Amino acid sequence: MTTFETSVPAIEPTGSLSDSVKIHGLLAEFETPGDILKAAEQVRQAGYRWWDCCTPFPVHGLDRAMGIKPTILPIMVFFAGLTGLIAAFVLQAFTNSSGMSVWAMVWVTGYPYLISGKPLLSIPAFIPVIFELTILFAALTSVFGMLTMNGLPRLNHPLLGNDRFRRATDDRFYIVIEARDPKFFRTRTEAFLESLGAVAVEEVQD
Amino acid sequence: MSSIHVAKPDLSEGNVRLGTAGLGVQQGAGLVGIIGLVASAVIGFGGMFGTTPTFLMKSWTQNYMFVLAISLGALFFVFIQHLTRAGWSTTIRRPAELIAANLKWAWVGLIPFAALWFSGGSHVEGSDAAHSNWGPGVLFPWADLEALKAHHPAEHDIVAAKSAYLNATFFWIRAIIYVTFWGVVSTWFLRTSIAQDATGDIRLTEKMQKWSGPIAIGFGLTITFAAFDWIMSLSPAWFSTMFGVYFFCGCCTCGFSVLIIAVLRLQSFGRLKQVVNREHYQDMGKLLFAFGMIFWAYIGFSQYMLIWYANIPEETGWFLGRQIGGWGTLSFVLLFGHFVVPFVALISKWTKRLSWYLLAAAIWMLFFGWFDLYWLIMPEVPADAMTAKTYMEVVEAHADASTHIFNPLNFTMLAGVGGIYLWMTIRRMRGSTLLAIRDPRLHEGLSFENQ
Repeated sequence: MTTFETSVPAIEPTGSLSDSVKIHGLLAEFETPGDILKAAEQVRQAGYRWWDCCTPFPVHGLDRAMGIKPTILPIMVFFAGLTGLIAAFVLQAFTNSSGMSVWAMVWVTGYPYLISGKPLLSIPAFIPVIFELTILFAALTSVFGMLTMNGLPRLNHPLLGNDRFRRATDDRFYIVIEARDPKFFRTRTEAFLESLGAVAVEEVQD
Repeated sequence: MSSIHVAKPDLSEGNVRLGTAGLGVQQGAGLVGIIGLVASAVIGFGGMFGTTPTFLMKSWTQNYMFVLAISLGALFFVFIQHLTRAGWSTTIRRPAELIAANLKWAWVGLIPFAALWFSGGSHVEGSDAAHSNWGPGVLFPWADLEALKAHHPAEHDIVAAKSAYLNATFFWIRAIIYVTFWGVVSTWFLRTSIAQDATGDIRLTEKMQKWSGPIAIGFGLTITFAAFDWIMSLSPAWFSTMFGVYFFCGCCTCGFSVLIIAVLRLQSFGRLKQVVNREHYQDMGKLLFAFGMIFWAYIGFSQYMLIWYANIPEETGWFLGRQIGGWGTLSFVLLFGHFVVPFVALISKWTKRLSWYLLAAAIWMLFFGWFDLYWLIMPEVPADAMTAKTYMEVVEAHADASTHIFNPLNFTMLAGVGGIYLWMTIRRMRGSTLLAIRDPRLHEGLSFENQ
């Protein structure tokens, strides 16, 4: 690993904010899950908002240490499922059980047709379609809702250009505080991260 | 990961043994059981509250199936954990093994069935004498074809054609196979697991994993055919190939509910503290939610819709018997109580992590597991269902069909069978450790988190 260490350029003292190079944030490296748990707790308590942890495997308790709020995705999925349920019922009740005419781009008319002596409005026959549309709406909402809320897919990320960050998929644990955070100050934040027991703190360029 | 491990859990005797703490409940349950059985015998044999031998026998069958379903559900839980090499469940597997081990006594429930064959008698001599007449036809119409011909001629030919399967000899051979298989398998799981408490031998876990595959196949076959023999054959003209799966769902409802109740009650006695936590509650709740409610509703609806759509009289008659008179209301009570209400109540994550809420949900589901069997076993299919011209004709003719839901016999029998079952379960729990303390995956279960 020594060869790797030497390939990392030393941190230069940065000039004013008008520098041509924009910084994405500061990357702090930790050696153990225990270290990052403690550090994440303190970053949260210091009041940072635009920051994240990157670990090679799920670290139990990290969500709680970071203070991540539960996602609202389940609520969206529930209402999408409810919409699918109602849509499927209305669709079938209209097409199979009513003679109504409705304008939906063109005039559409229901076609009540008696099948094997069942009532025109036969709920048991509707249930498979109701079930399927409920699942379809809920599943599509959960997939696309998830992608929208976590910002995926994206083609590149500033962290991916950082050599040190490669070990995030192997044996090191990272905290990134982004420059857009209102509490972010280049030198003060760096000193703060070092005080948390980071083995290295480094600037990530945008 | 050692730096973030949970504190070392308490594996002392006081935390993993029930000792004398459950003695009061055990004795109370035994007392309630004896009183319930005596009261049931007095009511049933005395013909009080309008009960008949058929009603008494059906009530026995329903409650026997209820406790059987609890233990079968627990047995399913045990072998599915071995089959999937699960680590999370190691902390709650022993209570499930103890509940499943009650299957050693499953044969006892067959004694009243056997007594019917020895009691002789037949229903042929006219319906007025029905109260004094016993015999296997009281419960199993296929066992008394002559009486079936006299009272339900339309059904007779259909049932007679099934006599290669539905005959007394084959019925009893099968029954002995089922109870032997369940008794041997559940006892073997418990004994092997307890042997590991002393030695900590990993090979015992490997052995249980290896045999869980064949056991799963045997389990699937035995509960399917047991459901055919002991529940479906009460209406022998009717048939549904889904019925075995439906009963399996019922086993999951009852078994997982009782497992949740048992674990939470043990914790309120100060046992299994720290060992079982909210993460385990949530996963037990998930299993109950998935198998006991959603899968049950899925199978129940699939069975209903195919029969409803095809609309063939020999199939629809069974459902017709559950739509006439008060049974129509009870069918909706079952639909909402077993699926709709608990589905909404248990869908969120937090609901399964709150112990009092989960306990209430498990008691609710256990009641509806019992109620489901009531709905399956108690109704009589009206004799004119297969000959009537229209649905409304039958519905109107039986508008006052009684559901007997408030007959005291139903509750004395539940108290009797349930009380004895509870007495047996607590007695077994007091004689064993409540945790597989040397299971090689115990540390996985102790540090398990849902993420």
